[in-house]
Amino acid sequence: MKRTHLAAALVAVLALSACSTKATDSGSSGSDSSGVKTGKGVTATEVTLGVMTDKSGVFKNLGLGVTQGNELWAKDFNAAGGVCGRQVKLEEVDHGYKADTAKTLYPQIEPKVLGFVQLLGSPVVAALKQNLASDKTVASPASWSSELLDNPYVMIVGTTYDLEIIDGLSYLQEQGQLKDGDPIGHIYIDGEYGKNGLRGSQFYAKKHNLTLKEVKITSTDSDLTNVVTGLKGAGVKAIVLTTTPTQTGSTVGANKALGLNVPVLGNNPTFDPALLKSPAAGALDKLTVVASSVPFSADIPKAKDVAAKFKAAYKETPNGGVPYGYAVGEVWGAVLKKACDNKDLTRDGIAAALKQTTSASTDNLVAALDFSKPGTPATRQVYAATPDASAEGGVKYVKPLFEAPEAKEYVAPHQK
Amino acid sequence: MDAPPKAGTPRRPRRSPARLVRTAAWLALLVVLLALPLYLDAAWLKAGQYMMIGAVGAIGLTLVVGQAGQLSLAHAFFLLAGGTAYTVLSGPTGDDRVVGFGLDPGLSLLGAVAVAALLGLAFAPVAGRLRGIYLGVASLALVFLGLYFGQSAEELTGGTSTGRAPAPFSLFGFPFTDEGPAISLLGVPIRQAERMWYLFLLLTVLAFVIARGAVRGRVGRSWRAVRDNEAAAAVMGVSVLRAKAGAFAVSSAYGGLAGAMTVLWFDILKPDESEYGTYGINVSIAYLAMVIIGGLGSVPGALVGALIVNGLPQVLALYSADLGWFAGTGDGTLTPILVSSFVYGAAIILVVLFEPGGLATLGRRLTRLRRQPPEEP
Repeated sequence: MKRTHLAAALVAVLALSACSTKATDSGSSGSDSSGVKTGKGVTATEVTLGVMTDKSGVFKNLGLGVTQGNELWAKDFNAAGGVCGRQVKLEEVDHGYKADTAKTLYPQIEPKVLGFVQLLGSPVVAALKQNLASDKTVASPASWSSELLDNPYVMIVGTTYDLEIIDGLSYLQEQGQLKDGDPIGHIYIDGEYGKNGLRGSQFYAKKHNLTLKEVKITSTDSDLTNVVTGLKGAGVKAIVLTTTPTQTGSTVGANKALGLNVPVLGNNPTFDPALLKSPAAGALDKLTVVASSVPFSADIPKAKDVAAKFKAAYKETPNGGVPYGYAVGEVWGAVLKKACDNKDLTRDGIAAALKQTTSASTDNLVAALDFSKPGTPATRQVYAATPDASAEGGVKYVKPLFEAPEAKEYVAPHQK
Repeated sequence: MDAPPKAGTPRRPRRSPARLVRTAAWLALLVVLLALPLYLDAAWLKAGQYMMIGAVGAIGLTLVVGQAGQLSLAHAFFLLAGGTAYTVLSGPTGDDRVVGFGLDPGLSLLGAVAVAALLGLAFAPVAGRLRGIYLGVASLALVFLGLYFGQSAEELTGGTSTGRAPAPFSLFGFPFTDEGPAISLLGVPIRQAERMWYLFLLLTVLAFVIARGAVRGRVGRSWRAVRDNEAAAAVMGVSVLRAKAGAFAVSSAYGGLAGAMTVLWFDILKPDESEYGTYGINVSIAYLAMVIIGGLGSVPGALVGALIVNGLPQVLALYSADLGWFAGTGDGTLTPILVSSFVYGAAIILVVLFEPGGLATLGRRLTRLRRQPPEEP
């Protein structure tokens, strides 16, 4: 008797599977009336760009800032007429800084978008590397490791970590805080971000004969007093950081408490305005931050404009992610316009337009970018800034965009 | 030597209706799983594959923890070992940055399982001497060993800063990617997501059948004897050390398979930057949670546990992207990941308080198949 049930069940399932509902996704690409080729993510009225960000994980503050910057840009871009008669629409998802979640969300969002205006988090970018290449999707990661540049579809807006450190060390030397032959310490998180920064200090140390003391930590270490004690014993004249903001606070605190008082250099991700309200606030005067995108409070017209628009639209505390997110949007705008001029708004067209983009301007939110040489960072210029509680965004900059001579000579890992 | 059946566990008659129903249910489930790729989009298939990785790993852990009674927190280490072994064995030769042996991917997968099993065997002297929480802490050390190994053995793992890509899987020349012959089934193109689904399903079914066989056979009996009373087991002629070592090796082999699947699922082997990550403590604990929720020692229970622990965050994330749930940002907002942590945390507490046998016991109670004490707890 059960046999018949079983047979009936099998037949039913097979019958069901015979009329599958899954549509075959044909990569339909056609041309519209004005002869512009279109494909995934582009309709007659809209161009959809993807945002894979972290709104709930460890980098939620940065992720939120960058996303709000992206949104502000999309609003302005559409108000100015969009591209090829189409409006830009953002498709946002939150992966919570988890690579496994991102890997599952990617196939869901990928068919809907032309490219990614934001891909946050180095574990996420690493996990999606193959997908970007096989789907030919241009993406701007919110991770600035020059190791990512072996992928032609990765568009890094700004200077990479290694170059930030080279420029920063050269700034310290220019200020007379460092001289050839000095010992320096570099505390780095073992991973994509920290190791890439370390490449920079290794290169600079070789050039200037500095004795480099490398200290490897993990991102979860919170008290670096013993590390700084060790560096004090080695007699370092400066400390370089590629760490989290919490670790930066611990380092500058120990630097002061132990009476070491040497200059501390950190790159973009090492500083968070929240440090100004932390116990380490009194010790931040020794810190110099080098970054390729401007702080929220920067005294340049475009940054002020973005800041005013931000205040009108959002209530959260701003951070440096906002002008950066806006700047990435500006670069995307330039690439989209170029692709439109080429009458090719397909993914291939975007990749081709990116290679032709030699001087994307973001009104100095980021230095002018040149994407024509794959494998090479698009710019080598940075701002230098110091923490300042009175400034909005928590830093004021002490040197506008500059490129050190050492940075010119540096060869990035995938530079041809 | 076949031991006479113990009192209290009469052998089930071969053709009892209950047994037929159960077989039919398993078959129907298999047919549904085989048909799913014809309906589900790639994102859902990806989530399903992630649950299958969890299932394979959890089956292995439930054998060592539930059947042999040895608490192991080292599962994530064996995942890393298996993933690394697969990537190294199948990697292209002549790469100046990393080591590769250029073996066939299918062979590499077997190699990964073997390497993990050997590592488990190497840990057996420790496992044989310790019990309970002491063994748990000792095995935890392996996870940290894995973290340092991943960071420092860059020629093998590719290092934390870039990692390395594994060779895409192929079996007898048939690629499990978008390349190769264009196949379609009932009008649905069978591409990478679908092909990987069938591969993972095959591996999961194999893992399941082998584990069921081990639990029901002599091996499983000797494990349970050692778990319940080592002295009594020794008197009955079970070699305690051998049973313990065997259980650990089998469980690590499963961990190694899950690790190789993880690497194939991510398309990259990237060692963790801290003790939390793809091969970190959090993963060891997640697997333990699957095993406890499913019911210690129950193989089907491990499947359900994997479905909850590995599946929930994925499914919630997919739904929230579709329906706009959890749209809040900043501090104190509910997110899919947070919600699923609450759910499986609560599930563990409920299981420990009200049903120590886990969902497996609950399931047996619901289907009222408890006419006799179950063979396997």
